Amino acid sequence: MAKTKKKKGLLFKVVAYSVCILLAILSILPFWIMFVNATRDTYQIQQDALSLIPSTHLFENLKILLGKTFDPLKGLTNSMIISTASTACTIYFSALTAYALVAYNWKLRGPFFTFILAVMMIPAQVSIIGFYQFMYKIGMTNNFLALILPTIATPAAVFFMRQFMVASLPLELVEASRIDGASEFYTFNKIVLPIMKPAMATQAIFTFVSSWNNLFLPLVLLTDSNKYTMPIMVSLLRGDIYKTEYGAIYLGLALTVLPLIVAYFILSKYIIEGVALGGVKG
Amino acid sequence: MKQRKNVSYAKYGYIFSLPFIIVFLIFSLYPIFYTAVIGFTDYKGLGVTSWHFLDNPFQNFVTIINNHSFRQALYNTLVIWILNFIPQILMALLLTAWFTSRRNKMRGKGFFKVIFYLPNIITAASIAILFYALFGYPVGPVNSLLVKLGIVDGPVYFLISKISARGIVAFIQFWMWYGYTMIILTSGVLGINPEIYEAAEIDGTTGWQTFIYITIPNLKTILLYVLITSMIGGLNMFDIPKMFMQGGPDNSTLTTSVFIYNQAFSGSYLYNRAAAASMIMFLIIAVLSGVLFYLMRDKSEIELRKEAKRLKKERLMIAKEQEAL
Amino acid sequence: MRKLISLFLVVLMVFSLVACGTDDNTTTTAAAGETTTTAATTAEPASTEKTVLNVWSFTDEVPTMIDKFLELHPDFAAKYEIKTTIIATTEGAYQPALDQALSSGGADGPDLFTAEAAFVLKYTQGDASRYSATYKDLGIDVDTMIKDADIAQYTVDIGTNPNGDVVGLGYQATGGAYIYRRSIAKDVWGTDDPAEIAKIIGPGWDKFYDAAADLKAKGYGIVSGDGDIWHAVENSSDTPWVVDGKLNIDPKREAFLDLSMQLKENDYHNDTQDWQDAWFADMKDAGAKKTFGFFGPAWLINYVLAGNSEDTFGDWAVCEPPVGFFWGGTWVLGAAASEKKEAVGEIIEWITLDTTEQGLQYLWANGSMNADGTKDAVASGKVMGMSNGELEFLGGQNMFDIFIPANQFANGKNLTQYDETINTYWRDQVRAYTAGTKSREDAIKSFKQMVADNLDIIVE
Repeated sequence: MAKTKKKKGLLFKVVAYSVCILLAILSILPFWIMFVNATRDTYQIQQDALSLIPSTHLFENLKILLGKTFDPLKGLTNSMIISTASTACTIYFSALTAYALVAYNWKLRGPFFTFILAVMMIPAQVSIIGFYQFMYKIGMTNNFLALILPTIATPAAVFFMRQFMVASLPLELVEASRIDGASEFYTFNKIVLPIMKPAMATQAIFTFVSSWNNLFLPLVLLTDSNKYTMPIMVSLLRGDIYKTEYGAIYLGLALTVLPLIVAYFILSKYIIEGVALGGVKG
Repeated sequence: MKQRKNVSYAKYGYIFSLPFIIVFLIFSLYPIFYTAVIGFTDYKGLGVTSWHFLDNPFQNFVTIINNHSFRQALYNTLVIWILNFIPQILMALLLTAWFTSRRNKMRGKGFFKVIFYLPNIITAASIAILFYALFGYPVGPVNSLLVKLGIVDGPVYFLISKISARGIVAFIQFWMWYGYTMIILTSGVLGINPEIYEAAEIDGTTGWQTFIYITIPNLKTILLYVLITSMIGGLNMFDIPKMFMQGGPDNSTLTTSVFIYNQAFSGSYLYNRAAAASMIMFLIIAVLSGVLFYLMRDKSEIELRKEAKRLKKERLMIAKEQEAL
Repeated sequence: MRKLISLFLVVLMVFSLVACGTDDNTTTTAAAGETTTTAATTAEPASTEKTVLNVWSFTDEVPTMIDKFLELHPDFAAKYEIKTTIIATTEGAYQPALDQALSSGGADGPDLFTAEAAFVLKYTQGDASRYSATYKDLGIDVDTMIKDADIAQYTVDIGTNPNGDVVGLGYQATGGAYIYRRSIAKDVWGTDDPAEIAKIIGPGWDKFYDAAADLKAKGYGIVSGDGDIWHAVENSSDTPWVVDGKLNIDPKREAFLDLSMQLKENDYHNDTQDWQDAWFADMKDAGAKKTFGFFGPAWLINYVLAGNSEDTFGDWAVCEPPVGFFWGGTWVLGAAASEKKEAVGEIIEWITLDTTEQGLQYLWANGSMNADGTKDAVASGKVMGMSNGELEFLGGQNMFDIFIPANQFANGKNLTQYDETINTYWRDQVRAYTAGTKSREDAIKSFKQMVADNLDIIVE
């Protein structure tokens, strides 16, 4: 009995680890290729787009990169402002809205939830035309708020938070807090938010990544070079259609991705450790 | 008593959802509504500022439904979504089972979890270009590997074949999103009350039994989330097919979103037709989501209510015991 | 019922929003203009007296030129300040942003903008041509100057609006030539003289395919892939894709199906695709068989071939192509709504029509504009005649000897604003046909279907 169990455990480990290692290689490969290409020159890349061996042109690429309209410090700052603010808005207000949907019994709750689900389903490609013309009309081009404010209403994040709350927010805790005389707002901030940490961290990563990588909307809305984000700057490197500096583009992409990876590794600890279960355990 | 409480707190439901509603009305609903309206008009062409409602308001819808490319795009979108979603959800569930297993504690699962999400970090455009280069013809990494290993005699023109092009797009989608799905599912599992697991362990259930009878039922709301968002995302798939081969070869990776984009921007500026196509897609997705909701809703809600009742009872009992003491 | 009421309320609110949006149009744009100018002035307080010129471009080439213009014209620089907006053509973002800016106008609207060959027709002859100022309105004596400068006719044709007025001109000339390997020419025909080779490979496709057979016999490919001949085929056609709103397949373009199939069936090329790894590899003899040559304008030599050639550097020459064509190019336009037309005209004249040694084109042709001294063909035949186009890459050949006539053969009258999209559809179908996945009839049928489905063009 014990023997078969051991065997089973071993088999499990062999299978699980080989699958995981294979997937891990598949995941890391593109990053490796990107960083390697950042050290190769345009012609090397044109001849063979995929190489695993770094070359020696890193500083040349950096020179080309900085010679163009590429100012990594400015780009990083702008991207950081937009992405951080968007992420904060998304997770806080989505949690708040989801809480309104879960904790309170109000008349329009049902219709409101259905409504959120409905708008989530509208294809984005064309309502973008309307959004963009609207921003022009109200003079919000070249204004970060045009990219940040709309994230207060992120239906998909509300939906996720709601699903998470329905499954794991004990309403007894809320009631207990009320009995202690806490205000509703205080209860949300001090009792509910900590319980939501795994969900918030998850959404924070996704929101941050998509906001950071967002290209089309910023490209169209931010036309002042002082407001360019990192992806805009990288896309400009491709603007010259006859002479594309691939090495510099990869270096730009690598620089764009690095802060993301750092932010991701910081936030990922919440997902991995599953910190916030304290609220339930007590 | 309960009744009275709900009435007095109900206003917070409105207050707390107010920021969402205000921002939504301003920044989302106006553009969406704008789109819906122009679907019924003759609004096309560049720089056109005035438009009129059509004599037959559904003309654009009829045109789109009869459009050969749109039908093809609808078919492609469904095929590619299914091809990527089934392996994706299975892989994500498997990894979730492994990583949250209380019995077989895997080493380095934190590392793997972090790594698997990485493909999602790079912009879709770069990934599409990367894969295009990977499957290059007549010279490309995949081809040279296949030839070297003796699997094929000469280079294969992957990107001219409809089946392989669709397969590659589905694979890219799978590869980009299984980590995301896995993270969502694990965060759902972490939200499950550990007491339930402890009880199960005392009852002596095996790892698989725990996963199937406890984890999955408790994950239902999150699974519904994954299913619906993936379906919405999948049916709106844009970046990869657009950047990979512009919907080619021969329309085989043309998704409805790429079709809509092409209608609006690729030369004729057919905003009205693009809007009509958007609305048709909206209807399709809404119906499908409605079906999913209906299928998954009752059971999970009922179970949750039961769970809540049970917990309440337990608490009441504990309270009574304490009072008795 | 309650749901209905809530829906009704929402709809009502939206209607009021729509109404506000349209009514406030003029006032809000004015406000937008105001805020941005104040932002600009606070950023550079010293320049408050200068007039701002807004330049929109998809490449940083033109803004760099304008910097040079300011450097050479201090009087102008004292009066005007340039505000540049560069938006890459990637993901099609440049055009929607430019269109929006042009139609809103105002203080922030573009005064000067650039357009690439793929979409310039839209701004010179198509839907957006009403936003482009005629060169005459910009104060340029355009007809005389075009004659004096000997500007390539196809660039003028493309830049002329339906009323017959010039609204856009280029600085670069992108008339195409055939760029071939000297050593291979000697091996096959015993000569590498451009005049001789031009007679062997042309004129006309029949002679070109005879030459391909000669090359094949010695184990060479005449081109790298069918994309190489496409630009020549496209531009040698007599009629455009769209005539009177109807799709028109010019016989010469239809023949691309057969030309492409001939290349494939006879194994005259390495079956590569332009801009892919294998195509670049053929520039340094790394393909399955050595490639004799490429079709292209001067920029292909400078930006693509020279850097990728490696050991073959210096073993190249240019000659007249079997059919005349052009490929790419940037046009410079002034905005009709601009209130600083005179200043815009001065810059545009310097870029597109100034034939002196201080004019942009002379600097451009002789490589004084960029750090690495890359020489390029320019629109003015006169300037090219004054300039030295000798390149080491071409074994010392003066490329302008070929490119001046090449610009005259290019045809600028067979284009439409839909070309980029339609060309993609056409080449996809041709590729399916040559790969054997489709019959000739089916390829044409699918092509027509694609055009009918996606564009507002009548297909019969």
